[in-house]
Amino acid sequence: MSFRVSLLRSVLLLAVVARPVAAGAATHVVTIEGMKFEPATLRVKMGDQVVWRNKDLVPHTATAEGKFDSKGIGAGKSWAWTAATRGQVDYVCTYHPGMKGSVVVE
Amino acid sequence: MLKATLMGAILAAFAIAPAYSEQGPSDPQIAHIVVTANQVDIDAGKLAEKSGSSKQVRDFGKQMVTDHTAVNKSATQLVTKLKVKPEANDTSASLKKGGDENIAKLKSLKGKEFDKAYVDNEVTYHQAVIDAVDKTLIPNAKNEELKALIVKVRPTLVAHLDHAKMLQAELAK
Repeated sequence: MSFRVSLLRSVLLLAVVARPVAAGAATHVVTIEGMKFEPATLRVKMGDQVVWRNKDLVPHTATAEGKFDSKGIGAGKSWAWTAATRGQVDYVCTYHPGMKGSVVVE
Repeated sequence: MLKATLMGAILAAFAIAPAYSEQGPSDPQIAHIVVTANQVDIDAGKLAEKSGSSKQVRDFGKQMVTDHTAVNKSATQLVTKLKVKPEANDTSASLKKGGDENIAKLKSLKGKEFDKAYVDNEVTYHQAVIDAVDKTLIPNAKNEELKALIVKVRPTLVAHLDHAKMLQAELAK
């Protein structure tokens, strides 16, 4: 009985731990809300995925010239980008010039 | 005697205060103000998209159309869900009147004069709407979801105001 419980626990634990390791990369979320990127500066590792999630009522973009451009992300929509090169990428919302953010790829 | 005088002063104060300040707008009236305020800026934006002399002004007009249309879509969905029937009122009527006067004035202007008049009005208009949001709409909205929608829209209005001020400064150069 107790062996079965502990076995089950090990299997569950393994499943939880193994998933991100197997995937090899993490997913980070930047929330767009109240006309801001949150967090404004995000640190990620090479190969990680960054998802911008728009919680505002109006469309936004996440645009780093020459690096990436989400184009319009509608209300309630998301857009993903995978960090492939090291360094800091500064980006803006091309619709709203006050909105700025950075992704630091380590 | 003193009591009677004091009572008289209080009554007089109430009498000279405008009727609407005693009781703010109802939710159906607030809904009508929100939808009208957005529509007024959509109409001006459409004109600027077409008649703006600089790309910046045309782009800003287009942005106003996009954002205020998106806000009105959410507002309309919410009032439909809440079964609130927007009710015309003095505030929404004066917003509409001011908007129509602005359009009429803009239509008589061309080139840089158009750009300046449009952007100047956008600065004044967004500031006025933010003031109404803070002083009238948020304090009087009774339904929590309606209030939450107005609170959610506020940062967009502030971003538009900042953007319009930035354009205003550039046009003044």
